[in-house]
Amino acid sequence: MTRGATGIGSGRGVPRWRAALLVGLGALAWAAWDTGADPIRFVRGTPWMLDFVRRSLPPDFRVLRPALEGAVKTFEIALLGTAAAAALAVPLGFLSARNVAPPAVFYPARAALNFLRSIDTLVYALLFVAAVGLGPFPGVLAVVAYTTTSLAKLYSETIEGIERGPVDAITATGATRLQVLRYGVLPQVLPLFLSYILYRLESNIRAATVLGFVGAGGIGFYLQTYLRMIDYPAASTVLLVTIVMVMVVDFASSRLRARLV
Amino acid sequence: MIEVEGLRVVLPPDTVALYGADLTIAPGERVMIIGRSGAGKTTFLRSINRLVEPTAGTVRVAGRAVTGAGPLELRQVRRQIGMIFQQFNLVRRASVLVNVLAGRLGYVPALPSLLGRFPASDRRLALACLAQVGLADFAERRADTLSGGEQQRVAIARALAQSPSVILADEPTASLDPQLTGSIMGILKRVNEERGLTLVVSQHQLEAALEYGTRIVGFRAGRICFDGPPDRLTPAAVTAIYGEEAA
Repeated sequence: MTRGATGIGSGRGVPRWRAALLVGLGALAWAAWDTGADPIRFVRGTPWMLDFVRRSLPPDFRVLRPALEGAVKTFEIALLGTAAAAALAVPLGFLSARNVAPPAVFYPARAALNFLRSIDTLVYALLFVAAVGLGPFPGVLAVVAYTTTSLAKLYSETIEGIERGPVDAITATGATRLQVLRYGVLPQVLPLFLSYILYRLESNIRAATVLGFVGAGGIGFYLQTYLRMIDYPAASTVLLVTIVMVMVVDFASSRLRARLV
Repeated sequence: MIEVEGLRVVLPPDTVALYGADLTIAPGERVMIIGRSGAGKTTFLRSINRLVEPTAGTVRVAGRAVTGAGPLELRQVRRQIGMIFQQFNLVRRASVLVNVLAGRLGYVPALPSLLGRFPASDRRLALACLAQVGLADFAERRADTLSGGEQQRVAIARALAQSPSVILADEPTASLDPQLTGSIMGILKRVNEERGLTLVVSQHQLEAALEYGTRIVGFRAGRICFDGPPDRLTPAAVTAIYGEEAA
């Protein structure tokens, strides 16, 4: 009796599971065919890649100076963009927090954030290059546009997760709304806000390295230029500088973040 | 000191927490509120300073209306009412001193306080309140580095910093080791006697309520079912409050 019941139960489960697996494999196979993903083509291409690496070596350090200048510019784009976004996102974060904003504000604010966040920094950069012309400035604007929405979302989730208790306690002392925010809410959210800002700064430096490809300034411009000129040793210098910069910022930022939370 | 009339509280969506409580508490009384969890003790206390919004009825504290008060009036009456919570509700990342100074927020100039600045007289008062709960040396420690008993004493210091005429304590010892009950209740009793302020404590430990209260108020299912001095709390009255299974 029990054995029969178990048999029926698993008999129902297995085909469904198998069907899901078959559908999944089918989707992957179709995607492989449609993208022309071909391991043999990849293996045949490896000598060319090795040739590319060999022609990039040794790096041409005569271009170290422009590469460093580009790196500094990329860092500046990310820093300025992240700082502006960190401030702009504060009111947006409160407006899209369920426990702070009334529903009439919260729902439209959330929807707008989700919509704007689905556009990547690089796409914003294309828009802003068209609007204000070439150079680092459209890059800064692109970083601001994307980071504001993504930080606002992180802020609002942090605000929604705060403990009610300290807020009640400060309210009970006869404090004003602003004092409650300053003494009951801010100490709870500030370390997390700072940690998110640092995290965004890290990702923005990585994102800003390719902004130069679409004319929005920084080290990406040099990488693209040297690749076009088929000056691979110069391009590899730019790449090395990029890697070092990203690693240094990641390291410093994660050390700082570990101390915050 | 505290006058409550016809206090009815319906918590959203439609839970009736209090069915119309009447209670008058004289200055300097030490009232222990007892009852099972869910009987309405917490809602009653939080209605007195309107952390919970009463559905109907009136609350007056020190002759001032709490119910119906505008934002400014409400803040002025709240600063006279110190509140202590079961979970201490300190701002964990802030220093002990800043937590106690928060008790002064209803009195100090608003703009400097938003920048974290307090007048020297308020800082002295905060330090004196810390000394009164035996934590004078803890001022610069971060609040979350303290033990539970110490945190609750900081919370008492915060309430004292309000220079209150009333202290409400919602299960102040329920989150602490039992041996700390006496220390916390002892401090509350002492400030009640020394400062003559009115004390209203919800207390789940019946023995502690009987030991520290001058008056016992029993709640059952949203209604007051006992009100009198500890020596009048008969076994029958205890059964009426807690039900058969607890007696």
